[in-house]
Amino acid sequence: MRLTLTALLAATFAAFAVPATAHHSFAIYDMTQNIEFKGVVETLKFRNPHMAMTLTHKKPDGTTETINFVEGAPANMLVRMGLDPAVIAPGQEITAIGAPRKDDPNSYFLKAIVLKDGTRFQSVGP
Amino acid sequence: MTIGFWRLGAAALAFGFAGSALAQQSHPDFSGLYFPAMGPGMRTQTPNPLPYNDAAKKLLADYEKHFTLDDDPGRYCIWPGMPRAVWGAPFTVEIKQRPEDVSIYWEGYGMYRKIYMADHNPPKQLVPSAMGHSVAHWDGDALVVETDKLKPYPYMTRMATSSAAHVSERLHVEQRTAADGKTTKYLVDEIVLTDPKVYTEPVKIKATLQFRPDLSLIEYTCTDTLWDDYLSQRGLTLPDLDALPGGGKE
Repeated sequence: MRLTLTALLAATFAAFAVPATAHHSFAIYDMTQNIEFKGVVETLKFRNPHMAMTLTHKKPDGTTETINFVEGAPANMLVRMGLDPAVIAPGQEITAIGAPRKDDPNSYFLKAIVLKDGTRFQSVGP
Repeated sequence: MTIGFWRLGAAALAFGFAGSALAQQSHPDFSGLYFPAMGPGMRTQTPNPLPYNDAAKKLLADYEKHFTLDDDPGRYCIWPGMPRAVWGAPFTVEIKQRPEDVSIYWEGYGMYRKIYMADHNPPKQLVPSAMGHSVAHWDGDALVVETDKLKPYPYMTRMATSSAAHVSERLHVEQRTAADGKTTKYLVDEIVLTDPKVYTEPVKIKATLQFRPDLSLIEYTCTDTLWDDYLSQRGLTLPDLDALPGGGKE
């Protein structure tokens, strides 16, 4: 199942574009990128105005790294899509897709989450 | 399966604003749950770009020179306030109407606004605020609202306003039928922003809320991250009450 926030966020940020009223634009991120990380949710903050998550990712050489998704969609939007704390929690294995900040490639905007059963919560982008 | 958010619950839309006793009166009752309507024509602004005067243009240039996209008031839970709140954050909006006033609650940022009816002895407002002081009267089926006492909103890339700003609104209900015969109700807000300190001419905005009785309000707290950052700077950790035994969670 694919649950998409694309229309929601696209409309959201389009709405803020002229004139903007809340939150910021995507311009600080390279939204053309979709970098995929398989890992275990380390911390998860269902928050407004933006959620945040860290993921423990196992690299090909066997070592691990923490991927910092500094922000994603607002918690209330995610909850309306069905992605709530009952669905995802620390310790859970997921795949997360992010776009890096242009000035800090180690910080990501969370574009999508794929649960182990294949359910995909799609944020912006393909 | 792909589920578009905007279509969620669309089939569950129930139409009609006649849910309360007020509907029996001569004026429309705007009470209900709404969501900002997106799409062509749902929100317009004239002129676009904003007609900043020369002095404001200088402030805008200086602002853009020093402020980055990270220096965003929304991140710090600053209310957009009027008139920006009308079309603002994409969250549920609840309107409750009484003969003496109209209360609007925006889930986003937890904003609320009171519009007092002129014929019900509206209270005075002592200090400027984000939503200002709004007094209204009916003009047929339209609610005409005048708002002043706004505190400055000096975010130059976000329809900045000074304390001289005045907002005039005309709210009315529109019912639109799509090609498939589906009818949707909207609350249309025609806004005129005048602020001679900032703009060379009035700014006209049309913002539209879609009647969405299928939605509900979700609590929106915005300051948790700010508090966390403060605690982190102080080197403090809050007690983890959930780690305590009991309550069937061991």
